[in-house]
Amino acid sequence: MLDVKNLMIFYENALAVNNLNLDVKKGEIVGVFGSNSAGKTTLMNTVAGLTLHMKFREHRKGGQRITIVGQQNFEGEDISNRSPNDRVKKGIVLCRERHPVFRDLSVEENLQLGGFLIKEQVKVQESIDLVYNIFPPLTKLKSRRAGLCSGGEQEMIAIGMALVARPKLLLLDEPLLGLSPVMQAIVVQALKDIRSLEVTVLLTEQYARPIMPHIDRGFIIENGTLIMSGTKEELMDNPEVMSAYFGM
Amino acid sequence: MIESMLVFGLVNSAVLMLLALGFSLTFGLSGVANFSHGGIYLFAGYLAYFLLKMGLPYFIAVVLTIFITALLGAAIYKLIVIRVRGIVLNEVIATFAIGICMLEFFRWLGFVTYEYSLPYIARGRFTIFETTLDYQRSLIIVVALLLAVFLWFFTHRTKTGLALLGMAQDEYTALAVGIDSDWAATYSFAIGGAFAAIAAVMILPLGIININIGYEVLLIALAVTVLGGLESTKGLILACIILGYAQVITSTFFAPHWKEAVYLAAILIVLAVKPSGLLGKFKELEERV
Repeated sequence: MLDVKNLMIFYENALAVNNLNLDVKKGEIVGVFGSNSAGKTTLMNTVAGLTLHMKFREHRKGGQRITIVGQQNFEGEDISNRSPNDRVKKGIVLCRERHPVFRDLSVEENLQLGGFLIKEQVKVQESIDLVYNIFPPLTKLKSRRAGLCSGGEQEMIAIGMALVARPKLLLLDEPLLGLSPVMQAIVVQALKDIRSLEVTVLLTEQYARPIMPHIDRGFIIENGTLIMSGTKEELMDNPEVMSAYFGM
Repeated sequence: MIESMLVFGLVNSAVLMLLALGFSLTFGLSGVANFSHGGIYLFAGYLAYFLLKMGLPYFIAVVLTIFITALLGAAIYKLIVIRVRGIVLNEVIATFAIGICMLEFFRWLGFVTYEYSLPYIARGRFTIFETTLDYQRSLIIVVALLLAVFLWFFTHRTKTGLALLGMAQDEYTALAVGIDSDWAATYSFAIGGAFAAIAAVMILPLGIININIGYEVLLIALAVTVLGGLESTKGLILACIILGYAQVITSTFFAPHWKEAVYLAAILIVLAVKPSGLLGKFKELEERV
């Protein structure tokens, strides 16, 4: 479904992603693990087209020089030069890290905006009801301003927003970052629900343990370079991986 | 005297609100302070004048004016501002230069004589609270209220309005759900232009069309936006009421020419005491969370 080939990204002369090859097949949940500054967020932003947008923006104002080399294919089509909203139309939707929401809009309005590109209002409403099913705590917060919700609630809103956009490939950037164990459990549970919707998921995380049982395959990157990849079992059997990313 | 001060204070507030709404809206939604607002305002005035002179019926001329001025707003973003987007100083210089170019171009064309004026929508007057008020001024109050209601409805009940608000609050998240940032900015410039045109058609009939009005409009828009706080419609209304009544009070008790000083004093005081404005809610919310 998604096929990233020889991806290299430079910010000025600093290498953020180094010759990365990564693929996601339809129906899978794939995890990308790595420490801070490993290039996870850059990878996600690039697949969603945000890095490209930033590149144009910086170029326009003569700021930082961003270079993107390599191929990004989605469903057999090269999307390397597609704009972010083109990619959303194709079905790639990113839920960014640190649960970003539209803080002055209500929870319901936030979810509505997720369906911005969907023409039929009925479909949007269906998806919103589905999000309330996946995240029951949101039902009580419908008219609360999103900026006043807790971090966990904002994460639910952010994932919900991405789901309302009806993704084929959902990108989750560090969905568990900064959440309490209870909230983490809710998000991990939601991951199972998302799989049953036949949505393919590519997610990143620093600390792999809570999410590991639910993924099919994983990639481990360090300083922008892929150091290991394999199925869940292969990764769990590797003692180095266990100590570095699972704290065991 | 109190009655007439109350009534004319309200008229004044409504005038300020019409003048500032377009500027404040563009600023709130796209983050670009469109300093060509005064130029756009006068452009709309002259456009309406010439359309009416061509013999078009009043209603059609007004609708055309609003539409064309909206296109002008969009064009200013698409052709010029887009190249400097993100560098605040350059945005200010670019839009300010466009505004001055437009105003001085009109002066060069010689649009300065007494024949340049727009017709009243309705002639006549009535008496309220022992004050005589003409229909045009009372219509200004009605239109200002209608625009405020429309604005609230547009930003909270329509998909496009919500998307523009979303883009103003968190650009990258908005991009991630498929909202295009240049589309949003173009849209907000167009709405700003349309609002300037509505203001021009309503307010310019009160006097003759004068190039200097363009500079004054910019000052008013800036004062109201600074006083009211960004991206807050309630703040905008409150600021208009404060400034509107402050003007009436100063011109009644001091002298009419002190009216202009009110804007400058308001900008200075607000920047010194509460830089986010009376109801600037962005910073406030950030502090609370």
